[in-house]
Amino acid sequence: MDLVLQLLFTGIGIGAVYALVALGFVLIFRATNVVNFAQGEFSMVAAYLMVVCAVDLELPYWLSFIIALAGMAVIGVIFNLGVYYPLRHRTYLPVIIATIGASILMANGVLALYGPQPQVLPGWFETPGIQLGPVYLDSQYLLIIVVTIALVIFNYWFFEHTMIGKKLQATSQDKEMASLLGISVSTMIMITFIYSAVLGGLAGLLVAPILFVSIQMGSTIALKAFAATIIGGFGDVAGAIIGGLALGIIETFGAAYISVPYKDGFAFLVLVLFLVFRPQGIFGERVAEKA
Amino acid sequence: MPLLQINDLNVRYGEIVALRGVSFNVEEGQVVTLLGANGAGKSTTLRAISGLAKPASGDILFDGKSIAGLGPEAIVRMGISHVPEGRRVFPGLTVKENIMLGGSNRKASKAELSGEADAMFDLFPDIRKFSDALGWTLSGGQLQMVAVARGLMAKPRLLLLDEPSLGLAPVIVQAVFRIITEIRQSTTVLLVEQNARMGLSVADQGYVLETGRIVLGGKPEDLWANEAIAAAYLGGHGKPAAGLPAH
Repeated sequence: MDLVLQLLFTGIGIGAVYALVALGFVLIFRATNVVNFAQGEFSMVAAYLMVVCAVDLELPYWLSFIIALAGMAVIGVIFNLGVYYPLRHRTYLPVIIATIGASILMANGVLALYGPQPQVLPGWFETPGIQLGPVYLDSQYLLIIVVTIALVIFNYWFFEHTMIGKKLQATSQDKEMASLLGISVSTMIMITFIYSAVLGGLAGLLVAPILFVSIQMGSTIALKAFAATIIGGFGDVAGAIIGGLALGIIETFGAAYISVPYKDGFAFLVLVLFLVFRPQGIFGERVAEKA
Repeated sequence: MPLLQINDLNVRYGEIVALRGVSFNVEEGQVVTLLGANGAGKSTTLRAISGLAKPASGDILFDGKSIAGLGPEAIVRMGISHVPEGRRVFPGLTVKENIMLGGSNRKASKAELSGEADAMFDLFPDIRKFSDALGWTLSGGQLQMVAVARGLMAKPRLLLLDEPSLGLAPVIVQAVFRIITEIRQSTTVLLVEQNARMGLSVADQGYVLETGRIVLGGKPEDLWANEAIAAAYLGGHGKPAAGLPAH
């Protein structure tokens, strides 16, 4: 039982990272009808920004964190203007290919600047963790869970209780109608890209001390997060979060009880099972929303 | 000076010519109705005015200023609100949120918009109880009410209404047109209708479009008086709708 609780804690921690990246996928998909294949690279680039600031330049951890997130906001702007905006009147296919191109560019750009050696980023806290009854709570996992909960609450408040959130929803549901009401569609999409880049970056900063900071970390996280969005129900915000958490728990338990080398395999096995038996995901696609 | 002047407007969708040399005026305080069959260019005319369709040539003057080629966001800020065909109520937002977003063309706080939306329910009492219902749960008539209420939230000087009666039961059509007669007290209306009888019953001026051209225009009673036209476009056999002078 102790082991179960311990694994649950770890699973939720890693799942929270998938949930944050998955949320970025979903928000961009809802705003632009395009899957952003560079979403994972946002996490990778943010982690490298963090390494540069906190390790190489020895800036305070919190300051490095802020700089890295601000950097991701700038990258969100550039990404929108460079990748999405010029192709916005085309079909989804050129845009998707452009996001794949951007992802290759980001990965190889970092490789060219920083080299192939994986980097180590220390965690935010000096204390490694606390013992709570039978469960050992690693401080970094604890941070991930707390930040993710805060973000989910913020996300809910932002989309449900602010006018700008309502305008973002309106834009994702019917762009032409939104523009007829005087909502600046291009501004709304810009906000979406900035927000998604920061979310992806945040996920990268949180997970980096657990993994190594490497060129490949983006694609690994993105694949899991993409699986999470499908498991949750593609395009559904709650589904992305639940799907991310579910995936984190499944792979943690799979690794502990069945096989460590096949850890990643479990996530994708679940994905395949969903695609075969419940392709609309846990929450289903809200067909009525598209009507 | 007319509130809206359309001069020799041409609109193309690729190779297809949707409007050819359309010219007409809308005077302030009037209700002007555009009639015609499917594909005649009625909706295209409204889409050109609100900025959704770019004119190939010709001009659109609103209050004396050219708005041809401006984007929809700029045009609605100038005071032209377009309630498009098919209502286009945001399905995932509530009725009240839909209506509040109608004020996005103005600088207004969330609290102000909320108060104005509540006041809007006085004009549309039938949808007040659906205030917190999501858009996709509503019936066609309710959606039309929401769409018009949302359009009015822009506080427009000119309201463009595209086929408000389409797909609605006769009793609901009556309710929608009662609202149009209330709207006209304060707002100029350009109405597109296939239901000629209802469309002309509220109009000061009517135009008939045929394959992208205006073929006829005049006061409703004159349009009814022209028997050939009445038979072809207005279904001129029955008696006119209430409010129309008998011919």
